[in-house]
Amino acid sequence: MNLFQFLIRIHFSNHYLARNRTCLISALVICLLCFITEVRADSHYEIVTYRGVNQKVLSVNSLRSIFSMHLKTWPDGTKIRVFVLPDEDQLHQSVAKEKLNVFPYQLRSAWDRIVYSGTGQAPNKVNSVEEMRAMVASTPGAIGYLWRANIDENVNVLEIK
Amino acid sequence: MILSFCVGCFFTAHAQEASKVQKQPEFLKSPIQWLQTSELPAESTASTDTKKQPGWIGSTLNWFQTANLPGDLQFHGFASQAYITTSDNDVFGNSDNGGSFGLTEAGLNASMRPLPRLQVSAQVLSRRAGEGNSGMPRLDYGFMDYRIYSHEVNQFGIRVGRLKNPFGFYNDTRDVAHTRPGILLPQSIYFDRVRNISLSGDSVQLYGEAAVSNWGTVSTQFGAFLPIVNDKDTELALIGTLQPGHLDRDVSYIGRGIFETNDKRLRLAVSGIWLNTSYDPRLRSGDPIGSGALQFTPVYFSAQYNAERWSLTSEYAIRHFKYNNNFGVPGLNGLDFFGESYYFQGEYRFTPKWEGIVRYDAYFANRADRDGSDFARLTGAPAHGRYARDIMVGLRWNVTPQFMLRAEYHHVNGTGWLSRLDNPASEGPLEKNWDLFAIQASFRF
Repeated sequence: MNLFQFLIRIHFSNHYLARNRTCLISALVICLLCFITEVRADSHYEIVTYRGVNQKVLSVNSLRSIFSMHLKTWPDGTKIRVFVLPDEDQLHQSVAKEKLNVFPYQLRSAWDRIVYSGTGQAPNKVNSVEEMRAMVASTPGAIGYLWRANIDENVNVLEIK
Repeated sequence: MILSFCVGCFFTAHAQEASKVQKQPEFLKSPIQWLQTSELPAESTASTDTKKQPGWIGSTLNWFQTANLPGDLQFHGFASQAYITTSDNDVFGNSDNGGSFGLTEAGLNASMRPLPRLQVSAQVLSRRAGEGNSGMPRLDYGFMDYRIYSHEVNQFGIRVGRLKNPFGFYNDTRDVAHTRPGILLPQSIYFDRVRNISLSGDSVQLYGEAAVSNWGTVSTQFGAFLPIVNDKDTELALIGTLQPGHLDRDVSYIGRGIFETNDKRLRLAVSGIWLNTSYDPRLRSGDPIGSGALQFTPVYFSAQYNAERWSLTSEYAIRHFKYNNNFGVPGLNGLDFFGESYYFQGEYRFTPKWEGIVRYDAYFANRADRDGSDFARLTGAPAHGRYARDIMVGLRWNVTPQFMLRAEYHHVNGTGWLSRLDNPASEGPLEKNWDLFAIQASFRF
């Protein structure tokens, strides 16, 4: 809140001391800082797996292939089971855009294409972060995502490189 | 100060919204609870809207998708109803006389993975659409998919059974309204008049997926299949008239390759079909057509660009028809010509719930005779039956993730892709310039 009041004060002073460029630039810098901190706040989540999954590190491309429901087995041959939150969920949107680098609507249409042509299966839908944690912790081969604050010792955190 | 107050309000409101999203009711964990509440008399009033069905239907569907069924068994389905009205000419029923509810689509599919590398899937489809489709349920697809090789993004496998024919961007799921751009697909490429021939076939298919350096992936499918050609619509389209004999299913081939960038923004595809069929006359009943064979070999080029708010899509098809000299009829013997089709389409997502669409779609039965004048001179039939140019605008409202409503308007110049079964000669000549308005409600899970 302090930051915003500060920003507004600058804005006001900028208004009164017209043509003062340094004020404008510092205001812009602060805006940028706000933006960066917001982005950082969004990345406070991790890709998590069932504890029994041996995989500890995964490439971005493999991760995208898993969430697109194309890659169906872990390297040791066991089933991958994907868990996702609803399309409009904030965490789901962050994971799709930032970690997978695709828009949520593209994931949805990719799933629809395989589900209604029989060439793949839909991910398992959960309705809350609590349910996500419970399902990933209890389902062999499970993969999902959680806010850092919700992660406990019952799930593995996957490193994405 | 007023400004800072406003900003403060906005942020708290936003934070509340975010926390609401994360704290959704956990009715799944307590099935007894939702059962009790949904049985309250206050809940079971007749005015309950279809789009608001949090009762037992919603919960059952949710259970299908979230419960841990053995062998990863999943059920999905869809149901759509459209209302279509036209200024002239009939589309899926008597649409030019007050409109018709002639287009109903419903499907149910099941899939399971008995082994990590093996998936079994099947879908039953019912489609009621004019004279061509009665609504009789049929097996849309039913096959086994075995993943022979799988390493990171590189996959290779085989599918055996009845499979959807992979061509273009939309054919694989063309009957699922949610996956289509509009109530009607671009008819120049995805004919509804002769849909069965291109819909699915009994086949063996190989498929693969591979990374292309760090740009994206290429997915390919290639298969041999027996096409489904035993319906009146297909016979009318390929032979021109209904005769006592029937079309035989000869071995045909199909293939598609799609390149997709890693961010799925750019998608490019090439698909091709090599369809073989032959006419089997009933000589005893005096069939006027002999046992001729024909080849239909369309090639499709598809491109799509997806941004956050908008998508641009275009597809082009060149369709080669080749008839041999054994039909015994001058109109069919030795026929050899190319048809051509293309469309440009733009979609805009105003919000996740509201989407708009515009499209220009063009069809030419014979690219050497685009205005149909040669055909008219030779046969005496109207020239406008040999082409169609369709301008379309539409609006889509995703009421919930499961329930969708949409409306669209078409202005069409030409009658090239209209169904001959829905517009028999006995109903008089077709109108060259005509309009179509349609609305549709669709549910899927």
